[in-house]
Amino acid sequence: MDKPVVVYEPFRAGLPPMRDYLRTLWGRRTFIAEFSRSELREKNYGTVFGQLWLVLNPLLLSGVYFLLIYVIKGSNDANRFGHLTATLFLFYLIANSLTGGVKAITSGQRLILNTSFPRVMLPISATVIALFKFVPTLIVFAAIHLLIGLPYSWQMFWAIPIFLIALLMGLGMSILISCINVYFRDVSSMLPYLTRSLLYLSPILYEASSVSDEIKSLEIINPLFYLLDSWSRVVVYAQAPTTFGLLHSLIWALTIFIVGTYFFLSRERDFAVRL
Amino acid sequence: MISLSDYNHPHSPHSLAVSVKDLGLTYTTSIDKKPTLKARLRTLGRGKKHTRVVNALSDVNIDVHYGAVLGVIGSNGAGKSSLMRVISGIVPPTKGRVEVYGSVSTLLALGVGFNPAMTGRDNVYLGGLAAGMSREDIDQNFDAIADFSELGEAIDAPMRTYSSGMYARLAFSVAAVVEPDILIIDEALSTGDAKFKEKSLNRIKELRSSDRALILVSHALATIEDVCNEVVWLNKGTLMARGNPSEVIAQYRTFVNARKSASSDEDV
Repeated sequence: MDKPVVVYEPFRAGLPPMRDYLRTLWGRRTFIAEFSRSELREKNYGTVFGQLWLVLNPLLLSGVYFLLIYVIKGSNDANRFGHLTATLFLFYLIANSLTGGVKAITSGQRLILNTSFPRVMLPISATVIALFKFVPTLIVFAAIHLLIGLPYSWQMFWAIPIFLIALLMGLGMSILISCINVYFRDVSSMLPYLTRSLLYLSPILYEASSVSDEIKSLEIINPLFYLLDSWSRVVVYAQAPTTFGLLHSLIWALTIFIVGTYFFLSRERDFAVRL
Repeated sequence: MISLSDYNHPHSPHSLAVSVKDLGLTYTTSIDKKPTLKARLRTLGRGKKHTRVVNALSDVNIDVHYGAVLGVIGSNGAGKSSLMRVISGIVPPTKGRVEVYGSVSTLLALGVGFNPAMTGRDNVYLGGLAAGMSREDIDQNFDAIADFSELGEAIDAPMRTYSSGMYARLAFSVAAVVEPDILIIDEALSTGDAKFKEKSLNRIKELRSSDRALILVSHALATIEDVCNEVVWLNKGTLMARGNPSEVIAQYRTFVNARKSASSDEDV
């Protein structure tokens, strides 16, 4: 007799067999891409004006915040505007990943109840969507960089690892929050306050160097503080990031990703009956 | 979680397709429709229960062989859909063991993965990918799917403009071209107009072959009797009877009628 292809047995708490899981996840990559694309399409990003909006929206946002800084502080130098746009755009990569991820599982109810697939696919596609939205802003920033005459140097290649850390952080947050939202549905309504606080607690409207040492030592618990600071150093000032800044953001990103993924994978078989 | 293309080897007729042994399924679900942190905090320390345990299935034993068409009948809440979800790997069992010898395709609901904002064409891809097909599979089968759905030019219109019958027709067409070893269909036949219903029933009859196993969940007893060669009857999570379709269906009918007359005798 043939050997069984799949065996379903009562599961112990803990992770599913990881090799099979990853293999299936990889096999589903076209679905992730198509699923993300359709979500984007749904919001009209398939049209010319929709795509234009992807560029206009971050520009308008940074315009509004620049106005705010100008009114409060009266500073209007070009570097400040460069810093604001660069950090704001990267911040939105993470924030979009969070806001997309929070309902990834709860709104994927029909899929989860009726098909078997690695559930982690859903928060992953939320991050993929955030990434799709981030790419045009990167082009906008490149244009701003050129227009206001910010410096260039080889150190700017540090942007690649920093971007990857940010992506990992966004993915980890998306996975973690999608799972928490299954158990506590009101998390999604608290999320706007969380992202707003993160926005104000991170060096976006101000620069990290203008923060007092006391507050800076408290900012160690803000996962984004040194990430955005390093990003600004690299892409705005064309300097190398500090080792501390890099390590701080890498450790935070890895922690959130590992904790989130563990939490998610050990619970995902429970999702179908919780929805 | 096996993609369809991985296991397309022939199966000898009468070899085991699915074996369900001593299956028990209990699950914890939240009492509130939407569990919230607020509710949890408000009742903190008061010992209020937030979850309850549901007994969905107990001691179910079923063997399905290749070449068989198994019908599953039972009243609402009997555990039919739960059983299908366990066999397709959506919900893990709490007790017992389920062995599956082949690739499974499930048709538990129509139009899973569809996005109404997209065109019918895009949704064929979305639905197909959600069902575990590869993009190449869908490319190859696209014309067959479009033909089967009889949508004509409407296939390039957004799905939100479809009537519910058109929606169901496309959804069934996507599912019907998948040719898995084991196909599980849950209540999917009760869609579309009479003509399309007959067409989908014919498609299911076509899918009956010696190297495939079909599991059909339905309330349409006449259809079950017509299509299946074995029937199991579930009631409140336990297996009441299994065997010859006409016999099991007769037993089920007697049971349902007995209950109906008993309740109609009561004074309300």
